[in-house]
Amino acid sequence: MPELNLTDIGIRFGGLRAVDGLSFALEPGEILGLIGPNGAGKTTVFNLITGVYRPHGGAITYDGRALHRLLPHQIVAAGVVRTFQNIRLFKAMTVLENVLAGRHCRTRVGVVGALLRTAAQRREERESAERAGEVLSFLGLYHKRDEIAGNLPYGLQRRLEIARALATEPRTLLLDEPAAGMNPQESRELMDLIRSILDRGINVLLVEHDMKVVMGLCHRVVVLESGRKIAEGEPAEIQRHPEVIRAYLGTGGRGARTQVAGP
Amino acid sequence: METLIQQLINGVTLGSVYALIALGYTMVYGIIQLINFAHGEIFAAGGYIGVITLSLLNSRGVLESHPVLGLALAFLLAMAYCAFLAVALERVAYRPLRKASRLALLLSALGMSIFFSNGMMLCQGVYDKAYPTQLYATGQFTVGGAVVSYIQVYIVAGAVVLMVALNLFVNRTRLGKAMRSTAQDRTMSALLGINANRTITITFVIGAILAAAAGVMVGLYYGSVRFDMGFVPGIKAFAAAVLGGIGNLTGAVLGGMIIGLVEVFAAGYLASEYKDVFAFIILILVLYFRPTGIMGEQVDDTRV
Amino acid sequence: MRGFAKWTVWVVVAALAALPGWAAAKTLKIGSLSPLTGQYAADGNDIKQGVEIAIAQWEAKGGVPGYDEIEYLPQDSGCDGKQAVSAANKLVNLGVVGVIGAYCSSATLPASEVLMEGDVVMITPASTNEKVTERGHKLMFRACGRDDDQAKVVVEFLSRELKAKRVAIVDDKTTYTAGLAKNIKKFGKGKLEFVAHEHVNQGDKDFSGVLTKIKATRPDVLYMSLYNPEGNLMAIQARRLGLKAALMSEDAVYHPNYLTIAKDAGEGTFFTFGQPPSEDIPEVAAFIKAYSAKYGKPGSYSAYAYDAANILLGAVARVGADDPGKLAEAIRATRMQGASKYIQFDEKGDSGSTYKVLVVKDGKFVPYWDPETGKRY
Repeated sequence: MPELNLTDIGIRFGGLRAVDGLSFALEPGEILGLIGPNGAGKTTVFNLITGVYRPHGGAITYDGRALHRLLPHQIVAAGVVRTFQNIRLFKAMTVLENVLAGRHCRTRVGVVGALLRTAAQRREERESAERAGEVLSFLGLYHKRDEIAGNLPYGLQRRLEIARALATEPRTLLLDEPAAGMNPQESRELMDLIRSILDRGINVLLVEHDMKVVMGLCHRVVVLESGRKIAEGEPAEIQRHPEVIRAYLGTGGRGARTQVAGP
Repeated sequence: METLIQQLINGVTLGSVYALIALGYTMVYGIIQLINFAHGEIFAAGGYIGVITLSLLNSRGVLESHPVLGLALAFLLAMAYCAFLAVALERVAYRPLRKASRLALLLSALGMSIFFSNGMMLCQGVYDKAYPTQLYATGQFTVGGAVVSYIQVYIVAGAVVLMVALNLFVNRTRLGKAMRSTAQDRTMSALLGINANRTITITFVIGAILAAAAGVMVGLYYGSVRFDMGFVPGIKAFAAAVLGGIGNLTGAVLGGMIIGLVEVFAAGYLASEYKDVFAFIILILVLYFRPTGIMGEQVDDTRV
Repeated sequence: MRGFAKWTVWVVVAALAALPGWAAAKTLKIGSLSPLTGQYAADGNDIKQGVEIAIAQWEAKGGVPGYDEIEYLPQDSGCDGKQAVSAANKLVNLGVVGVIGAYCSSATLPASEVLMEGDVVMITPASTNEKVTERGHKLMFRACGRDDDQAKVVVEFLSRELKAKRVAIVDDKTTYTAGLAKNIKKFGKGKLEFVAHEHVNQGDKDFSGVLTKIKATRPDVLYMSLYNPEGNLMAIQARRLGLKAALMSEDAVYHPNYLTIAKDAGEGTFFTFGQPPSEDIPEVAAFIKAYSAKYGKPGSYSAYAYDAANILLGAVARVGADDPGKLAEAIRATRMQGASKYIQFDEKGDSGSTYKVLVVKDGKFVPYWDPETGKRY
């Protein structure tokens, strides 16, 4: 499994330093949690890693390659893929077509091959369909494969987003609040799913507000506040970390944030 | 009755041409939300490559001995040239402005339209260029008293073949699917490993291929091309795309057919000089009751 | 900084002083109005080129007496009144003494008002609408024929020679084409039955709808009162629809393009046109030779524009251009063999119509019927 390294990463939006001097590493075989109050810059970090934004300073390396110099689709090809907090499926396409969209970077045949329906094209199509079917089964979505994605219930749409990401054959998966809007039962199923993803040899960077999920799942946790790292360590250490407690309570103790001290 | 059938035939022929051009407008709009005003000029360029190729072959006597081969060559060269033109257009005039405001893109498109039109005038002159039509325009047969010329049959059949091919491409192939997903959510598609720039280029190429085919067809049908021939059909095809629901392929074909038929029937039964007015009145009426066009869906605001 | 400004002034003054004959040269400025871009650019450029040939010949002979050089300012007037008016204003401001143009009557009429106001002589080589010379302007001349003359020839030909009964007319609503259609209907009253009078738009390409409608009226003749590109396209589409009626059209469709584009469909089409004079006349032969050497085969209006320019330059050579009234009188007094016809103006500024009927035969325009004799050639 590869190693994802962020070294002294920074980005400014206007005068605002959204991320400032941030360094951390996602080790092989690890689920790393990335937490912090709203506006701490968690989603920005995802956008930096996946090439949506270019950092104004620092370096992101992946298996020794400079990720921050690549375009988004090249980063996917390198093996890093993400999901979104607000679900972004291709709502007008079927479940299977959504997953096949994820197969794009792993297939090669161009316009000519597609029009001539060469043997290579047919073989590739068959392989893609097999892989897509396999991923759908893994996520328990196979029986829904011909439904329009936009018509699926919320929980299944989340699963489909993960399925689509897995279809790109990643080696590293970035999950942006996968448990948002899930009931406790669904959250538990999600945790099992993420563990089995790790078992497939994919390490995971997880942004999540639900502390039960973070604490129950992550090997290590990185805490951000205002674009800076304020703590890093195992979940038990983080729960006791005075800076973390201050950051969460000091913001006015908005709702669920007090959960940081929870079980 | 005879007149009615004749008008239907006239309208469907015209509608096929509009539909082919409208597809290019709608695809490009779908993928980068740009009204590519230079698309009409790409259509005209197709017509020019057709006339240049066919005249050259004709002067060598090749057209006489191998008419089908000559025609195929004319279509292929026109498609290739227009595809090249469209790729260059996208690279030079649109890609650098991808992150700029939509208005800037639109102005760039308008500018390129004028640039291409005048470029064709400078390169090819202000005079009409004649197709060697006699080879193709002679044959005809009658249906219920109405005259159908073979060229009309070829145009409609050619358009149908291209539309079916497009449909298969978009729905069945990897690149077609990439096009659809990029149209729905460009950022997300990029984050799934789909090369957005490449997909946009392919979209322009396909639109240009269809427009080039339409250009050669129109040249054969009307017997001549002019440097400014892209303007009016461009506007009408754009109207057709909007009428059908911009971004929607089926809508573009439907819109093209409706504009073609309305135009011909307005000329035949109402007043010929106001045929364009009627076409645009239909457009306004449809948009009044269905702002997204006939086949259009609600625009998704979450789209980046 | 002040030193720099001083230097700049000196450099500019020195540069201006060094310009050859800066203050001394006397330039004769003449302009033209015709559509150089757009739909009618073909005829429009023929006009511009006709003027250019005339100027080149004058310059080759040593120029116009009293002037060191001729400056030609061709303007793009389109076929559009607004564009023509602004182009005419520009010419007045540039100080031209005379203008050749415009092409479409709908451009000539409004543009001429501007030129008359600015005391500039205007000679149209192509606008045949009778109003052009019916408004009493002393500085307005016409080198081509008149629509009412043309309409009379059309009616005579259709009724007496073709023995046609049912006539369908199409015009494009512009001053020239609609005026001609109106005149034909006026003079044809009682002689011809007008079964259809349809209108199309300039720039239209598809006439299948209107032609299908016309076909249902079973005309003997389809009269196309149009301009060139539309006329070519209509002929092709009429034949393709199986319309058997004879086709007839006028001087604005009469152009070599009709032969190359309409091809077989154009075969047998009748035209009225100011009869091209015999190439045996030396002036005519000389013009065709000079024009062909530079621009290829002359268009329909090349010779009229060439004549108009020669009329203007000849008059300037005789009386100068300082007094527009005197210049106009000199133009009126012109008697010369031109490339288009023998030029002789009447009081209104018309130079006489020489309309004949021609027919397309074997891909060529050939004379067909002479209205003077009422006989075929």
